[in-house]
Amino acid sequence: MARFVLTRLLQSLAALAILSVVVFVLARATGDPLHLILPMSASEEDFANARKYLGLDRPYVEQYLSFVGRALTGDFGMSLRARRPVGELIAQRLPNSLRLAAFAMTVSLLLAFPLGVLAAVWKGTGIDRAAQVIAVLGQSLPTFWVAIVLIELVAGRLQWLPAGGIGGLASYVLPGFTLGWFVVAGMMRLLRSGMLEVLDSEYVKLARVKGVVEARVVWVHALKNALIPVVTFAGIYFSILVTTAIVVETVFAWPGLGRLAYEAISSRDFPVIQAVVLTTAAIVAVVNLSVDCVYAFIDPRIRYVR
Amino acid sequence: MRLCLGLIGALLSFALIASPAAAQSKPDLTVALSSFSTEVLDPVLGGHVVKYYMSLIFDYLVGVTPDGQLSKDSGLATRWEPSADHKRWTFYLRKGVKFHTGEEATSEDVKWSLQRAIGKRSTTGYAGPLRTLIADIETPAPDRVVIVTKEPTLIIPTYLSRSLSTEGMILPKKYIEATGDDAFAQKPVGSGPYKFVEQVTGSHIKLAAVDSHWRIGVPRFKTITFKLVPEETTRIALLRRGEVDITDVGRERVKELERESFPIHFRREEAILTTWWVLPRDGQPTRDKRVREALNLAVDRSEIAQSIFAGYADPAHVPLGLSWAYRDIGFKVTPDMQYPYDPARAKKLLAEAGFASGFPLTMHAYQLPGLPEGKAFAEAMAGYWQKIGVQPKLVPVDYPAFRKNWFDRATPGAFGYYNVANRDWIGTYAFLEKQAYTKSRASDTVNDPEIDAMIEQVMRQTDKDKIGALLRNVYTRLRSEHYGVPVVYLHSPYAASKTLGKWNPGTVMYDFFLDELASSKR
Repeated sequence: MARFVLTRLLQSLAALAILSVVVFVLARATGDPLHLILPMSASEEDFANARKYLGLDRPYVEQYLSFVGRALTGDFGMSLRARRPVGELIAQRLPNSLRLAAFAMTVSLLLAFPLGVLAAVWKGTGIDRAAQVIAVLGQSLPTFWVAIVLIELVAGRLQWLPAGGIGGLASYVLPGFTLGWFVVAGMMRLLRSGMLEVLDSEYVKLARVKGVVEARVVWVHALKNALIPVVTFAGIYFSILVTTAIVVETVFAWPGLGRLAYEAISSRDFPVIQAVVLTTAAIVAVVNLSVDCVYAFIDPRIRYVR
Repeated sequence: MRLCLGLIGALLSFALIASPAAAQSKPDLTVALSSFSTEVLDPVLGGHVVKYYMSLIFDYLVGVTPDGQLSKDSGLATRWEPSADHKRWTFYLRKGVKFHTGEEATSEDVKWSLQRAIGKRSTTGYAGPLRTLIADIETPAPDRVVIVTKEPTLIIPTYLSRSLSTEGMILPKKYIEATGDDAFAQKPVGSGPYKFVEQVTGSHIKLAAVDSHWRIGVPRFKTITFKLVPEETTRIALLRRGEVDITDVGRERVKELERESFPIHFRREEAILTTWWVLPRDGQPTRDKRVREALNLAVDRSEIAQSIFAGYADPAHVPLGLSWAYRDIGFKVTPDMQYPYDPARAKKLLAEAGFASGFPLTMHAYQLPGLPEGKAFAEAMAGYWQKIGVQPKLVPVDYPAFRKNWFDRATPGAFGYYNVANRDWIGTYAFLEKQAYTKSRASDTVNDPEIDAMIEQVMRQTDKDKIGALLRNVYTRLRSEHYGVPVVYLHSPYAASKTLGKWNPGTVMYDFFLDELASSKR
């Protein structure tokens, strides 16, 4: 087990190292940040001064080594746009994204579990079809559109919930639902197919023969074994929700990591782009590693597969 | 089911760890904006032109009224006077003005602030002419500053006033020297009626009122919060819910909000949507004046105003024509200057210039802050020019990519545009000095020796009437030579809450005069 974890850890570190080079090069390929930092009226001398002050006049290799050296100590440098330490910006934004993703995941679990289980138990009935429609809508309706409709209707017209910004629990509902609904479809389908398979298995039949109450058969015995792929899916999607909620964070004016990434990319803020990408990659790597470990723990055969 | 109950429990527990709501109770003022421009709170190192929140934190050396007139009542200087040769400008400072640290603002702070504004690291928009002009800054007394210039000039007081950018903002020398530039940018200290409380980049900037301020008395609002809300639907929903008091809205939403009785405050002609062709003109069809005129005549400005800008725009007829300066310099757009929509004549002019079958024209299409209609506008322009035989090629880019092309002169003859913020005569001069002056090589779009000579004279002219005449002549020539296609003046709507009361957002570029709204002296 330890060897398995170590191997996965080394693979993750190698991926992060390669990614740091890729993101460093690609960020610079997008253009010159000074065209956004300096006003339209800036002279060539202003450009030269700013380039020197921000350290952008140094050779790329030197800039990269300096970035990596500092990043290893947790110092990602200063934001070119905000003139604040990048670490501080990420520390401000990451918890907001984590909280929103946690809320969205809770919403999706609340919807997907009853829908998935009921759809499997009442396969082919109206409940099954209704569950499928809800799931398909969640995945097929553009997130941007769902967000706008919810803001216009629920926040603007009915005035039931806040329209945007981060605040109390109520401010999580609309962005959390918008994000979570998208995840429901995949999770519900996985659960439904898993439940169908498990409900048809010998041990479930035995439980029924032994007279176990049907609700217990479904919600305890069957559900427990149908959960493994759902756990994997939820883990992967949690990291995706944390790192890619750009549209939802922008529409709901949510100061999260996705929006920070968007702002950084739009303003060619190299240090922030690099730090955000590496942070999100680290999150994905940690989540994947955890999922691998959980899998390996649940199913020992995985440890021996090379 | 127990699982569901457990999750509901988890959700409720989550409420306990979630951030507390930032409850907004009046008399707090909340302003939601689609863009903050740069978010660095240092007037000198932030590449600043936007003053919405900065003019609340800092005082200017010279104040202005909301309609852009220099004022002895709203700046640090209570009066100013030139020497007979106009090479020494003496400013008399208001006594007892204190920074938020409690230290008094003195002539040393003024000198240090101006030197910082024109220093090498400064990224302010218009420091160039000040660098050229200022020879020395003397501080003969704590309440007196003398700016010594290399040449006679009239522009100093206006150039250091609130009517231009951030060059004239006065900063606390001792505080910045003690804390450093980066710390100052993160926790700025000024002497304005509001002091900095909190900034979450990409989210909000919160300011709190001082107890009483010489400019506005006891502020009406205890706090002013600027929220960055990129999506318009969200901003309007926040307004409807009473969570914001002022917000910028799209022109197409104005009637809907008016029907709901939300007051709409317009900044009329807040910007001119003007276009140009990347220099050099050599070898390009646009080197021919007839081609430039044809491209102007082919555009139906009224239709653009109606269809793209929902009627909240008016045709513009003078390239780079910043109309808020017209009253200062006595310039009038006469009927013969107005471009009619005349595609037939445009075709004829093209044929006379030897382009009867048109020519390829690269058109960059991009969005801009305050101009979500940017790409639709570029497409409309392409459509008009296609009708007279030009073969436009739309190139979707983001603005920084176009700006690099423009500055590097990588695509000569290509079409670019910008919604240039309107401004008074000094702002206009500062703008023309960059965009219509050959020596500002990178950003120049005109390249005309006659105009260069006139712009050079403005800086050194000491007669206001002659400055007006020079600028009038610049505009006359820009129009007669068709240096670009001026399209429309944009009227920018700002929706307010029903309880906000009377607010005059003024006619000064990038400023809302929220301090006037907060003033108890009104």
